Amino acid sequence: MDADRLDLPQGTLDLLILKALSLGPQHGWAISERIQQVSRATLQIPQGSLYPALHRLERRGWIRAEWGASDNNRKAKFYELTRTGRKQFAEESAAWDRLTAAVSLVLGMS
Amino acid sequence: MLSDLMYRLRSLTRRGVMEQELDSELRFHLDREVDKHVAAGATRAEAERRARLTFGGLDRIKDDTRDARGVNAAEHLMQDLRYAVRGLRARPGFSAAIVAALALGIGANAAMFGVVDRLLYRAPAYMAHPDRVGQVYLTATTSSKERTYAQFEYTRYLVFLRNIQSFDRAAVVGYRHLPVGVGEQTKEAQVGAVSATMFDFFDARPVLGRFFGASEDQTPSGSAVAVLGYDYWQSQYAGAASVLGSSIHIGNGIYTIVGVAPRGFVGFTEEAPPVAFIPVTAFAATRMANYYKTYNWSWLSMYAREKPGVSLAAADADLTHAFTSSWLDQPASTVPPVAVARPHAIVASVHSGRGPTAGPQARIALLVMGVALMVLLIACANVANLLLARAIARRREVALRLSLGVSRWRLLQQFAVESLVLAVASAVVGLFVAHWSSTVLTGLFARPGVPSGSVLDARTLTFAGTITLVVALTTGIAPALHAMRADLAGALRDGSLGGGRRRSRAATSLTLLQAALSVVLLVGAGLFLRSLSNLRELRLGYDADSIVFVGANMRGAKLSDTELAALDQRMLGTAQHAPGVENAALVISVPFWSFEGRGAPVVLGKDSLDKLGAFTMQTASPTYFATAGTRILRGRGFLPSDEANSMPIAVIGQTMAQAIWPGENAIGKQFRVGGDSTPLRTVVGIAEDLHGQRFTGDPEFWYYLPLSQAPEAAGQLFVRVRGNPADAVASLRKLLQPLMPGASYINATPLSDMVGQEQRPWSEGATMFAAFGVLALVLAALGLYSVVAYAVAQRTRELGVRLALGARAPEVARAVVGQALGLASIGIVAGSVLALAAGHWVTPLLFDESPRDPSVFLGVAAVLIIVAGAASLIPAMRAARVDPAHVLRMD
Repeated sequence: MDADRLDLPQGTLDLLILKALSLGPQHGWAISERIQQVSRATLQIPQGSLYPALHRLERRGWIRAEWGASDNNRKAKFYELTRTGRKQFAEESAAWDRLTAAVSLVLGMS
Repeated sequence: MLSDLMYRLRSLTRRGVMEQELDSELRFHLDREVDKHVAAGATRAEAERRARLTFGGLDRIKDDTRDARGVNAAEHLMQDLRYAVRGLRARPGFSAAIVAALALGIGANAAMFGVVDRLLYRAPAYMAHPDRVGQVYLTATTSSKERTYAQFEYTRYLVFLRNIQSFDRAAVVGYRHLPVGVGEQTKEAQVGAVSATMFDFFDARPVLGRFFGASEDQTPSGSAVAVLGYDYWQSQYAGAASVLGSSIHIGNGIYTIVGVAPRGFVGFTEEAPPVAFIPVTAFAATRMANYYKTYNWSWLSMYAREKPGVSLAAADADLTHAFTSSWLDQPASTVPPVAVARPHAIVASVHSGRGPTAGPQARIALLVMGVALMVLLIACANVANLLLARAIARRREVALRLSLGVSRWRLLQQFAVESLVLAVASAVVGLFVAHWSSTVLTGLFARPGVPSGSVLDARTLTFAGTITLVVALTTGIAPALHAMRADLAGALRDGSLGGGRRRSRAATSLTLLQAALSVVLLVGAGLFLRSLSNLRELRLGYDADSIVFVGANMRGAKLSDTELAALDQRMLGTAQHAPGVENAALVISVPFWSFEGRGAPVVLGKDSLDKLGAFTMQTASPTYFATAGTRILRGRGFLPSDEANSMPIAVIGQTMAQAIWPGENAIGKQFRVGGDSTPLRTVVGIAEDLHGQRFTGDPEFWYYLPLSQAPEAAGQLFVRVRGNPADAVASLRKLLQPLMPGASYINATPLSDMVGQEQRPWSEGATMFAAFGVLALVLAALGLYSVVAYAVAQRTRELGVRLALGARAPEVARAVVGQALGLASIGIVAGSVLALAAGHWVTPLLFDESPRDPSVFLGVAAVLIIVAGAASLIPAMRAARVDPAHVLRMD
């Protein structure tokens, strides 16, 4: 494994998925690709956890799924945020910001 | 929440669709990944490899996704169930063996639980607040011996009612066998003479009419009203409502039916359900005029209900106070003073089996319950052994699935489901076993007259369900863990050959456990059988097997003493000349039935003989000793010449003679029975001792007076017959009945039945232990067989090599049998140690038998060795027939 790739901290996968979907409906593969690209390949999505996570979020009612045609015209399952999902995303990303800010503050102590 | 529910619902109902969707979703992902790598310049094959590598195990992801969906548990269960059922059906012999073993274990336990529950734990039907209700027992010291009484006088009950404060209910009941009906229809049946307050203990409403109330249960003689038992109402009156207001003959009285008790209502009794309830005062008045003023008719059991929050100690103190008041109320001349008698009363369980005067019945039932649990344990060990063998055979499969990413937890679940399916199937079969055997069991344990029937009901089923779960866990989990502990690579490499040693170690321990437990049970069986045969061989002091007991029930027919004496003589004469009759005698006391206790005889110059023990008087006609078969050891028996006006004589029992005149010749000594005005009697003979009240414990002191010198209406006959007494019963009754005046009638019973009734605790123990012991032995033999057979199969190669190297077939066979005998020997030693340690449990239940009887232990050892040898015979023969050439070619 590349040295500059990071494993995802516990519990952040849901947040990343919500973020990726906040930009528009996507299928599973595209979600993983997008996260990898945006993080400049630093974040490696453990593919084994992606689909269980998607189904879990669907069950919670934060995202919903629909079958549609992908860009290469194949049938694919597209996920999009529900209204609760949007609210949840806003809350969780705010919480994340507060957390990281606080952690940086502590780490930046001189 | 709603979306969650909908999602789960959809996943459950549309499982197929969702599976398909998941499949295409993941496939789509993989394809895109491959495309990506191809676009980056990889070959198709290389791209596919890399895509799969980053993706991971497909099955595992699917599994995790299903878990995330949250319906997995139910789905897995269904899957496992189908899998388990399919697997078990594929091996019918294996499954049948397991189900049979467990069904016997579960069935025996369910049935025994039903029996024990009824004997000791279940509250009487309809009882309200059973936790506060108890039976009252009295303890007092008389003749320097502390005695506990469960039955007392109506007068005492009245004193209690006036004195007790910690109780909000109190009642007395006397259940009696009384003639019910008139003429041809007359039958003796259980009748409850109960105080009206008894009904207040129960949440029961009459199905018809009403119960009787306090105003109908008043001294001196209550109203002649009766409440019918439900079953009797159904069988005798076809459940007709018109029964109200009609009359019924019970005992010597005629009662008006005012109500019908609900189904299953028996009040306070563990015996046969009563056909009717009548006011205790109404019944008592037909028997004795002063029953509520005197203290000489102890026939009632008293029950009381504590007020809420009253402690047991306070309740007992309150009762003791009441008892003491009643003691002071008794004429001082008849009882020792309070300071000596120290009257004490307690409230104990309504189950007599848990009360202070409990017989051995309940102990034996508990013991048999323990034995049934042991059999279940043996069955479990056996089944665990079989499942273990199977788990080993499936090691490869397990290892393969583990390496494919199936979690251990899932596998464990699957094993558990499989043993659960087995256990449930066994439980179903077991309940049939229980249903069938409970008829036999209640027949063995219930009091006579209690309808023997199935013990299956909600409580028993709950119990059966619980043990089924425990069985499933104990038999299933161990083999499963065992199979999964195996390291993957090793299992895959070794294939089916691996794991043999570990398996045989576990299997050997299980087999040893079975052997040891069977030894314990067999020793128990042996001890009880020996004890029963000791009891059967015990010389009773009379020939119970040749005697019919005939009793006249006068049922209110009023005859003068002269008329009664004449009737006695007519009965005696008729019986004596009946065909098949050798001899007959009038008797006052009947073993295990009724005794004439007149207290101790009085010997001039000696202190009260009461301290020596309990004395029983027998008064009988001259042919008594020849009829009963009681042997005269010294001196003589009765002679026709012992007339009313000749010298008063007596014959006494051997032990009694030694107790009164130790070291002296009792013949020629004198004593009197009763007050100073009674004549001094001269002992003319010493008779052998007699067991008429008990088989163990203190010796019984019996003395015999000729009827001519102590005239009394006997109304009872011993009839000595040739052949089986049971065959003579009907003809004797037929011959004698025409002599009876009015509604009076004749009862005839083989004396051996009445004695046998008393021997039941011992015969029950012997029967149950023998049955369970044999069951255990069969299971142990099966276990031993499977272990040895498995070992032979494992060692086929080794045996082949040895045969090829010149070992001879008989030697090989002997080695196999030797292994089995070795196992059995260890089992015998371990089991014997256990049995010796547990011996004190059964000691009080054994008759004249040491729990360490070496002949029993040796016998059991021999049986187990023989069975072990037999069980290993087939595998040994198979081992001896191994073809070396064939075996060596196998690899």
